[in-house]
Amino acid sequence: MTTDAVPPAGDPHRLLSDVRALARQVRLDQRVTWVALLVLAVVTFAAIPFDWYSLNADCGSASAWIKDVNGGSMCHITGRGAMFYWPPALLLAYTAIAVYAARVARARGVGVRALPYAITGAALTVVLFIGAWLLWRMYFASHPAPTHPFPYWVMLLDRLAAPWGAIGVALLVLARLERNVALLLFTVGYLAVVLVPINFGWHPSWGYRGILGAFLPQQIINGTVLLLGAVGFAVARRGRR
Amino acid sequence: MTAENGTPDPHEPPVHPVTGLDEVVHQRVRLGILAIAHEARRVEFGYLRTQLDLTAGNLSKHLSVLETAGLVEIEKGYAGRRGRTWITLTAAGAAALAEEIERLKLLITRLETTDTPEDR
Repeated sequence: MTTDAVPPAGDPHRLLSDVRALARQVRLDQRVTWVALLVLAVVTFAAIPFDWYSLNADCGSASAWIKDVNGGSMCHITGRGAMFYWPPALLLAYTAIAVYAARVARARGVGVRALPYAITGAALTVVLFIGAWLLWRMYFASHPAPTHPFPYWVMLLDRLAAPWGAIGVALLVLARLERNVALLLFTVGYLAVVLVPINFGWHPSWGYRGILGAFLPQQIINGTVLLLGAVGFAVARRGRR
Repeated sequence: MTAENGTPDPHEPPVHPVTGLDEVVHQRVRLGILAIAHEARRVEFGYLRTQLDLTAGNLSKHLSVLETAGLVEIEKGYAGRRGRTWITLTAAGAAALAEEIERLKLLITRLETTDTPEDR
């Protein structure tokens, strides 16, 4: 409540630390991290039945994406249903996050920080996911079916352009906007999980269900990581109050 | 302080950071208002009051000083039936805040480098 125009000795330190503390408090009040992660976790879990029932594994065809090393059989796996679920679901999710962020910011009395994140997320959904899907379609329309698995870097890019990868890239933007080191570390971990697929041994040699099942653990893990992140950030926020 | 060609004169003693401090900005509450407005992009009157622990009248006076200096813009509106006042930092305000922080850092450096054990 002071109006001192000239600070007493030693005050530059205090003034600077006050400025930093106030800026930090504003940033904390603008954060919507846990809600964003929760919405994305829900979208990821809701995708499981869509992806499961829309996957098609053609193991009798000569064309091959996945080679069963043990049996020597080839399977061409497609999942067109994902195209009808992921883009609208993610666009809806980013809209929901943007609306929530705007309402919370207005209620708290500060400006919205997460809007560029929602815009980036929506743009990535359109550009990365739909772009990658179209590229694959064009590639297979003009090239003979590959007889060997694609190089590792191609699959890495494919996973990055997939919805889970795009979610991670957009989260990096949110971490930058919120200047949230914890979210940055979380996102790096999440991207590592997404880009390095985990398989619990479900194998094409187990038949049709085995091939489709090879996708399931990864999706459950992605969703669980996002959900745990949401819980963690919510608890941390509660603890700060 | 500068030579005729505009370059600093090496024989002149360097300007002390205190001389460049802007009295409008170099005040704890007003500096706080600018810092919050800069971080929040747009901030509500009530939020400033809570964060800076000020009375409405005191905050209004400080805001008035900043508005007169062209460092903030004040916009009044409604949220439902409730009247609300939003404060936005102007470009001049952002520049003044950045300059103040720079000068404070310089001042701290100066204090630390000239502070001898006898002074303490």
